[in-house]
Amino acid sequence: MNRLKKEDLNRIKAECRGKKKDWIKVGYSTCGVAAGAQEVFATLCREVKEHHLDIEVKKCGCAGMCYAEPLVEVNVEGMPRVFYGKVTPETADKIIEKHVRGKMLMDDHIYDLKVHEAGAEAGLS
Amino acid sequence: MIKRIFIRDTNSSSADKARDFCNVLRNQLREKQMDEKVQLIRAADMGVYNQGIVMRILPDDLLYGQVEEKDIPRIVSETICGGKRLNDLMCHHAARQCRIVLRNCGVVDPESIEDYIAQDGYQALAKVLEQNDPEKVLAELKTSGLRGRGGAGYPTWLKWNLARNVKESQKYVICNGDEGDPGAYMDRSVLEGDPYSVIEGLTIAGFVTGASKGYFYIRAEYPLAIERIQKAIDQAYACGLLGENILGSTFRFDAEVRLGAGAFVCGEETALIASIEGKRGYPRPRPPYPSTQGLWGKPTVINNVETLANISPIILKSGKWFAGIGTETSKGTKVFAVTGKVKNSGLVEVPMGTSIREIVFDIGGGAGSGKKVKAVQTGGPSGGVIPEDFFNTPVGYENLQKIGSIMGSGGMIVMDESDCMVDIAKFYLRFCVDESCGKCAPCRIGGTQLLNLLEKISDGKGEEAHLAALRRISFAMQKASLCGLGQTAPNPVLSTLNYFEDEYRTHVLEKRCPARKCGRLFRYSIIQEKCKRCGLCVRNCPSDAISGNREKGYVIDEAKCSRCGLCLETCKPNAILRG
Amino acid sequence: MVKGVINGIPVEVKAGTTILEAAKQVQINIPTLCKHPDLISSAACGLCVVKIKKLNRMLRACTTPLEEGMDVQTHDPEIVETRRTVLELILSNHPNDCLTCGRNNNCELQKLVADFGIREESFEKFVKEIPADDSTGTIVLEPQKCIKCGRCVEVCQDIQNVWALSFLERGVHTRISPAGDIKLAESPCVQCGQCSAHCPTGAIFEKDDTAKVWRAIQDPEKYCVVQIAPAVRVAIGEAFGFPLGTNLTRKLYALLRRLGFEAVFDTNFGADVTIMEEASEFVERFVHKKGTLPLITTCCPSWVDFMEKFHPDMIDHFSSCKSPHEIVGALAKTYFAKEKKIDPSKMVMVSIMPCTSKKYEITRTGEMFASGFQDVDIAITTRELARMIKQAGLDFSHLPEENPDHLLGDYTGAGVIFGATGGVMEAAIRTAYFLITEQKLPKVEFENVRGLKGVKETSVSVDGQEVRIAVAHGLANVEFVLDKIREAKRKKEPVPYHFVEVMACPGGCVGGGGQPYGVTDELRTARARGIYGDDEGSALRCSHENPYVQKLYNEFLGKPLGKKSHHLLHTAYKSRPIYKR
Repeated sequence: MNRLKKEDLNRIKAECRGKKKDWIKVGYSTCGVAAGAQEVFATLCREVKEHHLDIEVKKCGCAGMCYAEPLVEVNVEGMPRVFYGKVTPETADKIIEKHVRGKMLMDDHIYDLKVHEAGAEAGLS
Repeated sequence: MIKRIFIRDTNSSSADKARDFCNVLRNQLREKQMDEKVQLIRAADMGVYNQGIVMRILPDDLLYGQVEEKDIPRIVSETICGGKRLNDLMCHHAARQCRIVLRNCGVVDPESIEDYIAQDGYQALAKVLEQNDPEKVLAELKTSGLRGRGGAGYPTWLKWNLARNVKESQKYVICNGDEGDPGAYMDRSVLEGDPYSVIEGLTIAGFVTGASKGYFYIRAEYPLAIERIQKAIDQAYACGLLGENILGSTFRFDAEVRLGAGAFVCGEETALIASIEGKRGYPRPRPPYPSTQGLWGKPTVINNVETLANISPIILKSGKWFAGIGTETSKGTKVFAVTGKVKNSGLVEVPMGTSIREIVFDIGGGAGSGKKVKAVQTGGPSGGVIPEDFFNTPVGYENLQKIGSIMGSGGMIVMDESDCMVDIAKFYLRFCVDESCGKCAPCRIGGTQLLNLLEKISDGKGEEAHLAALRRISFAMQKASLCGLGQTAPNPVLSTLNYFEDEYRTHVLEKRCPARKCGRLFRYSIIQEKCKRCGLCVRNCPSDAISGNREKGYVIDEAKCSRCGLCLETCKPNAILRG
Repeated sequence: MVKGVINGIPVEVKAGTTILEAAKQVQINIPTLCKHPDLISSAACGLCVVKIKKLNRMLRACTTPLEEGMDVQTHDPEIVETRRTVLELILSNHPNDCLTCGRNNNCELQKLVADFGIREESFEKFVKEIPADDSTGTIVLEPQKCIKCGRCVEVCQDIQNVWALSFLERGVHTRISPAGDIKLAESPCVQCGQCSAHCPTGAIFEKDDTAKVWRAIQDPEKYCVVQIAPAVRVAIGEAFGFPLGTNLTRKLYALLRRLGFEAVFDTNFGADVTIMEEASEFVERFVHKKGTLPLITTCCPSWVDFMEKFHPDMIDHFSSCKSPHEIVGALAKTYFAKEKKIDPSKMVMVSIMPCTSKKYEITRTGEMFASGFQDVDIAITTRELARMIKQAGLDFSHLPEENPDHLLGDYTGAGVIFGATGGVMEAAIRTAYFLITEQKLPKVEFENVRGLKGVKETSVSVDGQEVRIAVAHGLANVEFVLDKIREAKRKKEPVPYHFVEVMACPGGCVGGGGQPYGVTDELRTARARGIYGDDEGSALRCSHENPYVQKLYNEFLGKPLGKKSHHLLHTAYKSRPIYKR
């Protein structure tokens, strides 16, 4: 990447926020990894590829709910953003099948949800 | 628009009741032909505890608590069909976390600088460099009231100002990532989840103090944190956010990672400096303080990870905004790592002034075991226990000190009735004895002697005079130890002794451990009348302590028994006696 | 200057003065076990805590500077109780070997325990058994008795720059040891003994050779002779209540005879001979340009060892002349034996030295056997001599004064000043001046090379030529001088110095590692004063004026640097790696 100036910061910010896209985030800090996030991440990536889904699978840090790791946050347009907790590779399969492809929320695995619409994440300013 | 209703029985960990409830609700919805327009979801957690059946209705975002089956018709007709809020069912969701330090944790990809920039990353540094007025930053920090999050709570602006005022061409800033308190991992999470915010904070510290070089001192046991910080540093260099002419300005700042070998005492400023210099991690007396004579004799500012993560938000949102959060003397938020006998162990960021009760019960969900919560321990091995009676205390530097503990770096360990306070004191003290650097006599020998006494007490060899000796040694350690480790090492002993002296006395006078933790003070035996001779205990015993046969019956060999309690747990006819 | 109050008494001290120092001004000695005036405070023991009013804490007096307006309380029941507890804690981790300990009656811990009136041990004793390390044959480490004050480590690393001693492990397992847990003999230790001189307890001490001396004296077959080093005479009195720096040379001669030695020599005589050789060597190099400049002195075996281990590139600069006591040893078993018709194989030479390293020097190389026998058989320190005197029950203060045995006993003022830093240089210049100009020096005192400044640089004009000299003591100070020499060599500039004196111990031999305990700069100065007083009182002030030296050369050696001198009085050096492994 080139050396950035202040204008570049604003440009990158605008670009990133402009992208409206579905995504899945996997908590990938020590707590998540220790609970099995690696396998979950791999499963999600594999499934997304297999079904040619237009959804990004990303790693992120610890959201604080370490007791529920591995934690997977799913943001699909038109659905609330939810956190699936204690996700196993099998649950990960189901997340793709039911939530991403079937647009249905899953029973017994949701640990938290964000009410705000996707993309409207509150930044600092 | 489809409605989604999340349902959970917040009184129990089983989903049975919620399932029944869902069925009733679903039937009633079907009757009203609403079942196509509503999705019912059984949640695994709602962030609300002990409120019976709780429903969260989207997109209205209504939270109903203590919902009974009899309420279902009203809910269906008035709320779901009519869109009306039922005020009597509204559940007050009191404890709210407030994320400043953890704002990006779990949000951004820690290995992507664009992600960080998208969340207003580096805007604070850009602002600082554009204003080009370190005094203005100091003024903002002063207004904010930000105090060091490493434990001691020294005002951050003052620390920076001291180093800034020293006339010296070379200065250093150091990020202290040598987090070592048992059960505390806030810093690790921030370094792993949002490394750029810490780098940005350190860069700003460098600019304000006049330091051109920064170190991340991170313990080697945090490999992922080290990897992420290193990647972030590399990327920041590539983007011109470290090195020369940062963001096109004339400011130059370099950063590198130094690994700590895991000695707890190296979290102490002067020992940390010795460690970076390549010396034995011994603390040295202060003054001179690192702000005037630190790394290689140069003025050095050492800030904790969490402190540095607070810098950017303060600069972007103003010191006044920050000062509006928290209490009179403790501003902003504090991240706690809530662990131990708590339902939801994890990281919690709350405004200063939040009560311990809110943290443990409203956010942490209370004891996971269903037993009564007895106390929490804050401040790690330097802190103390806080009994349940004091749970309404609002957290803050001075408040916690007043009740015999400290804020510390933010470990909060929850204990329930099955925890023995002598055992807890022993645990923390052993940690400090293991981690004492050995330099000063009060800590090196005092700690060992304290531990020796506690071991006697928990082994049933305690005498009343030992309690006085515990106090005497503790006092000398507090007063005469060289560094914080030794000065605070007796705190867990003193606080348990102050709040739970009865428990100590029971150990000493009755040779009994009320929590049945101290292995030498109770034993397991088999009540022959109740024993069905099934032999399950024999098979389960990991220490081969149970012998006998079906004809003669079984006995436990006390000498071999490790007091693990497996026999008690597995015995169907309750024939194992603990006493 | 800052003003403060200590125990209600106003004090005014220089900014930066510690509370410990400031308190002395108002006649308060705050107890401490780790602080030593020579060293930066390690702040390890925790005994010197004092209260600062308005501050709800106790602070260490040894490291806290008195600040403007500070109100200090140095004792109250709480402070005393804290100190007592810490002292009892230290005691609980220290063996109760006092009666059989080398430091019995001379131990800082023992004294404090007595002062605090500790009559019972409140805490359970735990002392981990750690084997002693006597691998060097000069210094014994007994880590079990160590209270981890850190003085030895600091003196070894910071003052001497040797880095033989360090702390190993941590917490309650912390112990002193050479790094890597090797034996002291395999470490870079140069056996200067400064660790033993600074140790507050009996954890580091000189290897005791007094039994060997008693045995030699009592052996009717043996002819036992003795010599005393310059610095011994002004320090031994400390062990017997004499005022600091009292010169006891002639009482010592009487004393040694009463101990049973058959002849009593003086190392100062050897020093005069050393000067004859070394000054000649200097003239060779300086005037006749034969050999490398600067010439560096080699009287100090720790310095020699240090150079061989750390600075072998300097070997060319070293004077090949042996140290004075080795010269006396070699001459005793040749010249004296021949003159007095004594069988040198029966002769036992005992050197009484301010130095632990001399125990090592006596078998250092083959040249230490130049007489055909071991030239010096036993070297004991001033501290060991003091014990022998007490064992013999000799009433030191009432002894008469006697003279030494001639041939190897009479000395000039130049010989005695070897005992203080700068002394060898001063003595050598006195004679070199004569050798070059054949004239008497108008003024024999060279004040510029005296005193306790770490590196003393000056120059003297000899026959119109400038002789640049440097004097360093305390091995850490040597680096400065050597770096300057190397720098000039690298840049092919004129040498910065022509003549360099180095002594390993701060203050020179008066501050030697084998001297009575409690060394401070005050004590070093007092001992040096005794030495310079002896010089001033001497009729003869230059080595070449010594009639017995003249007799030696006329009747036995021939001329300085001659064949016989070379065989008996000179040695060689070789590069040795730091770690033997």
